[in-house]
Amino acid sequence: MTLLSGLFWLALTVLLYAALRHLHGRFPRVWLSPIIAVPAILIAILLLARVPYAAYNAQSHWLSAMLGPATVAFAVPIFEYRSAIRRHWFPLVVGVIVGMSVAVVSTVWFCRLLGLPELLERSLSVRSISTPFAIAAAPAMGGQAELAAVFVVITGLIGMVLGEWLLSWLPVRSKLAKGALFGAGAHAVGTATAHRRDTEEGVISSLTMIIAGILMVLLAPWLAAFV
Amino acid sequence: MSCSTPMFAFPPRFKPFLRTLFQIGLLILIWLVAVELSARWLHQIPPTVSGIAIALALLGLGLLKREWLADGSAWLLREMLLFFIPVVIAVLQYQQMLDGKLLSILLVIIGSTACVMIATALAVDLAWRLEARWRKPTENKE
Repeated sequence: MTLLSGLFWLALTVLLYAALRHLHGRFPRVWLSPIIAVPAILIAILLLARVPYAAYNAQSHWLSAMLGPATVAFAVPIFEYRSAIRRHWFPLVVGVIVGMSVAVVSTVWFCRLLGLPELLERSLSVRSISTPFAIAAAPAMGGQAELAAVFVVITGLIGMVLGEWLLSWLPVRSKLAKGALFGAGAHAVGTATAHRRDTEEGVISSLTMIIAGILMVLLAPWLAAFV
Repeated sequence: MSCSTPMFAFPPRFKPFLRTLFQIGLLILIWLVAVELSARWLHQIPPTVSGIAIALALLGLGLLKREWLADGSAWLLREMLLFFIPVVIAVLQYQQMLDGKLLSILLVIIGSTACVMIATALAVDLAWRLEARWRKPTENKE
């Protein structure tokens, strides 16, 4: 019985995702995007039916388990773009280091200014990187993986809008800078935006995002001691 | 691109679906090796990093061809949103903690993301100008 209800929630998640993905393809509205609409619908159902999260996650955790192999998949774009890395290693390194340091420092600073608790502060500090990396880095940083995941999603949506607006007045000329802005600030959502603007911007954005993610996971335990 | 002789070859007209499925299996295998590696020997390096490193090493050494991972990798990256839906729903467990703090959290995210974007774009633009300056002499030599 428990197995059956667990499988039901897993199947419902996959079906809703497939349906919303199709719908969003036809009507590209932000609120129809699968990462907003599917959790919203499922949370509403779970709350109305008074189903605890543990029951929902009994089998659905298999989906989360796929985030690991999904990070391995990032090796292919890195390998494909290796000539871009070789050519632009210096701006890439600068972008990743500046983006990551500013993300952590400004988050901690804003959180303390607004009096948010430490767990939120630490979960928020990894929100600029792609979800699978953020989930890996959050516990090492002293945060909560699930909270970090939600903040990553919100960051992506805000960053998409913010990035376009900032680029309308910021005095930057190179495509490298424009791509790095999206990759460092708004991870995969930003990268998708950058790809729509320009292919080279998209490549730089995705490289900045992946390298920042890897570096954040490696440095998180060390950073945690500093902030 | 350097590639040694492949260890095995796909039969011709292999169905794209099965090929993608097989490639995802390959990526899962690499991930499991990375998890074992981190658990047993490399405690400092999380599997998220060692997994990418293993795959890159295999691709770089030509033991794996790009084409053997390309479809599976593209599928996983394209459908990644599906995999973090359960993690996002877990926010249900933190209702009390988030209660009354949503506005502050949004302010932090907007403020910090703006800082990250402005700083990164300006720094990279400067780095790009420096790169262009030091590239010129070496290119003239070639």
